[in-house]
Amino acid sequence: MSGSPAGPTAPSVSRTTLVVVAVIAALVGALSGSWFMHTRNSPPSDFGADAGFSRDMQAHHAQAVEMALLVRERSDDEELRTVAYDILTSQQQQAGQMYGWLVQWGLPQTGSGEPMAWVGEDHAKAHTRPDGTMPGMASRALLDELRAADGLAAERLFLTLMIAHHEGGVAMADAALAQARTTEVRTLAAAISSAQASEITLLQRMLDERG
Amino acid sequence: MSASSKGKGGARAGRAKVDELRQAQQAKERRSRLILIGAVTTVVALIAGVVGFTVWRDVSTRPSLDAVKKFDVTREHTTEPATYEQSPPVGGDHHPAWLNCGVYPQPVPDELAVHSLEHGAVWVTYRPDLPADQVTALEDAIPDTYMVLSPREGLPSPVVASAWGTQIELTGADDPRLEVFIKEFRQGPNTPEPGAACTGGSDGELPTTTG
Repeated sequence: MSGSPAGPTAPSVSRTTLVVVAVIAALVGALSGSWFMHTRNSPPSDFGADAGFSRDMQAHHAQAVEMALLVRERSDDEELRTVAYDILTSQQQQAGQMYGWLVQWGLPQTGSGEPMAWVGEDHAKAHTRPDGTMPGMASRALLDELRAADGLAAERLFLTLMIAHHEGGVAMADAALAQARTTEVRTLAAAISSAQASEITLLQRMLDERG
Repeated sequence: MSASSKGKGGARAGRAKVDELRQAQQAKERRSRLILIGAVTTVVALIAGVVGFTVWRDVSTRPSLDAVKKFDVTREHTTEPATYEQSPPVGGDHHPAWLNCGVYPQPVPDELAVHSLEHGAVWVTYRPDLPADQVTALEDAIPDTYMVLSPREGLPSPVVASAWGTQIELTGADDPRLEVFIKEFRQGPNTPEPGAACTGGSDGELPTTTG
C-alpha cells in the first residue's frame, strides 16, 4: 500500500527535476562557454593591462623623445648624440605601434582611470609617485632645467634623468609582461624591458665618465 | 459477515483508496512541478531584472555628448594672423609652430593652440573669473599630455572644451561631460595628424617670423 502509489510516481517527479536541472546546466554551460570564447577572441578590455600599458607607455616614451631631442640640441658629443638619436627614433616608432593597437582594438587613446591603474591596486602604489605620475617620469621643473642647460651640464642632467626614466620604463614593461594578454603587447614589453635595462648600463658608464 | 465483507468490500475499498491516492499523488506531482517551474522562472526573472536595471542605470546616468558641436574647418599653415569662425577656434588655418601642451595661467595665441588641436590635443578654456578652486579642479581632471588648459575672454559658458572640428560648452569644472569629451576626442579619430608631437613647439609666444 505505502509503496504502490509512490512507486510509479516518484521517478516522474525526479525526471522533471532532472530535465529542468539539465536544461539549466546546458544553458549555463553554453553561456560560460561562449563568454570564454568571446573574451579569448575579442579585443582587450578598456581597463586591462594591454590597453593601460599601450596608453601609459606612449606618454612615457613621448617624454624620452622630448628629452633626447633637447639634449641633441645642447650637446656636441658624438656618442651622446648617437645614443639620443637611437632612443628618440626607436621610442617614437614604438609609441606608434601602441597607438595603432588601440585604434585596432577600437579603444580610445585616453583611459578612464589614473595612470598605471592597470597594474592593479596592490601594485599601483609601488608603480606611481606621490603626485600620481608614472615611474621614472621627469617633472616639468627638471625638463625646464634641461631646456636651460647647455653642454656638459645638459649632458649630465640628461643622463641622470634618462637612467631614472629607463628604470621606470623597465618596471612598467615588466608589469605588462606579467599581466598583458595579447602577444603583441607582451612581445613589445619584453623588448622594451631588455633594451632599456642594457641601455641603463651604457648611460651609467657615460654619466660616470662625466664625473 | 465480517469476514466476507472484509473480502469483497475490502477489495473495492482498496481500489478506491488506490485511485484516490494516485490522484492525490498526481496532484502533488503537478503542484511540485508548478512550484519548480515557478521558482526557476522567478530566479531567471530576478537575474534578468537585476542585470537589466544595472545596465539601464549605467546607460541613463552616463553623461551625454549630445551637446557636442561639429564643424568643418580648413588646415593650412600660415604665419599671417588668422581669424576663426568659432570662439574658441576648433580648427582652421594656423601657425607652423604648435603650442606645447600644458597648463597656461594666461590666454594663449589661437594660431598656436589650433595647431595643437590638429596634433590631437583637447583644449580646455575657462572664463577668467572662474573661481580658483575650479581652475585647480580642471588641472586635476585633465591628463598630463595632449591637453591645453588656458583662460579665455568671451566664452559662451564657464568652461569650453575643444578638439579638432568639435566643441562642447560646459557648466563648470565639475561638469561630468568634460571627462567623456576628453576620452572621446583626445587623440581621437577626428585627429588630422595622429602621432604628431605636443611638445617641442612654442611655449605660448607667437614666434616672430617674417614670411
